[in-house]
Amino acid sequence: MAGTNWVKFEIPSDTRNVAFARTAVALFASQLDWTLDELEDIKVAVSEAVSNSIIHGYQLGEGIVRIEASYQDQKLTIVVEDYGQGIADVKQAQETGYTTIPEERMGLGFTFMHEYMDEVLVVSEVQKGTKVILIKEVPPRSEG
Amino acid sequence: MQYSFETVGQALIARLGGELDLHTSPHFKEQLAKFFTTHPQIKYLIMDVQDLQFIDSSGLGVILGRYRDVEERGGRLFFVQANPHIKRVLQMSGFQKISEFADSTADVLKRVEGGQL
Repeated sequence: MAGTNWVKFEIPSDTRNVAFARTAVALFASQLDWTLDELEDIKVAVSEAVSNSIIHGYQLGEGIVRIEASYQDQKLTIVVEDYGQGIADVKQAQETGYTTIPEERMGLGFTFMHEYMDEVLVVSEVQKGTKVILIKEVPPRSEG
Repeated sequence: MQYSFETVGQALIARLGGELDLHTSPHFKEQLAKFFTTHPQIKYLIMDVQDLQFIDSSGLGVILGRYRDVEERGGRLFFVQANPHIKRVLQMSGFQKISEFADSTADVLKRVEGGQL
């Protein structure tokens, strides 16, 4: 009996806001019947998407990250969008270990998103921005 | 996040609490790197993550950086008392291949000091 609900918010591109974003989305998502582990998974996925917007989209500079979370019954959809520099090769960016900053980053952000969510969609345009859509459905639970 | 460092012989025990992410990792990274530079005897890095509530790829990047130091010095990396979620993140990112998961710092120190490594 989850029905439909949504939340939308914007944050400045500031690393302090990553924790707020993942916690707020997890709090909203907790209206559905996730296990604690699944909620932690959602937090990691959101953390990676928002971190990507700040590090790559805005190069740690100024900008706005828009976050939207919604659900229809037990299916959660999270949208993380920035209006930054965009990704030239979306497929390459999602490969495990691929990073534009090898001395600091592990290239695991998209790997975690793919691992922890059912679906990850990335829409990006160079100099326009990137939209990452994360989808996860509460798995069927056995009664009792 | 909170962290503290303690050295025991050739081992550095880094105790982490709270959340290690894009915001909190730069300061921790700097202090940990500095510790390695000023303590060239350190070969074993024991990450006590009992009180660590959250880690993502930003936090893992910091630990990977120091793993490279440990490897260069012929030592080893340990994670002590990782909660199930942290353990899963570590496993998924390949850390189980380059480190050991242990139940207590005392156990690891016993092995390090006993020359069992």
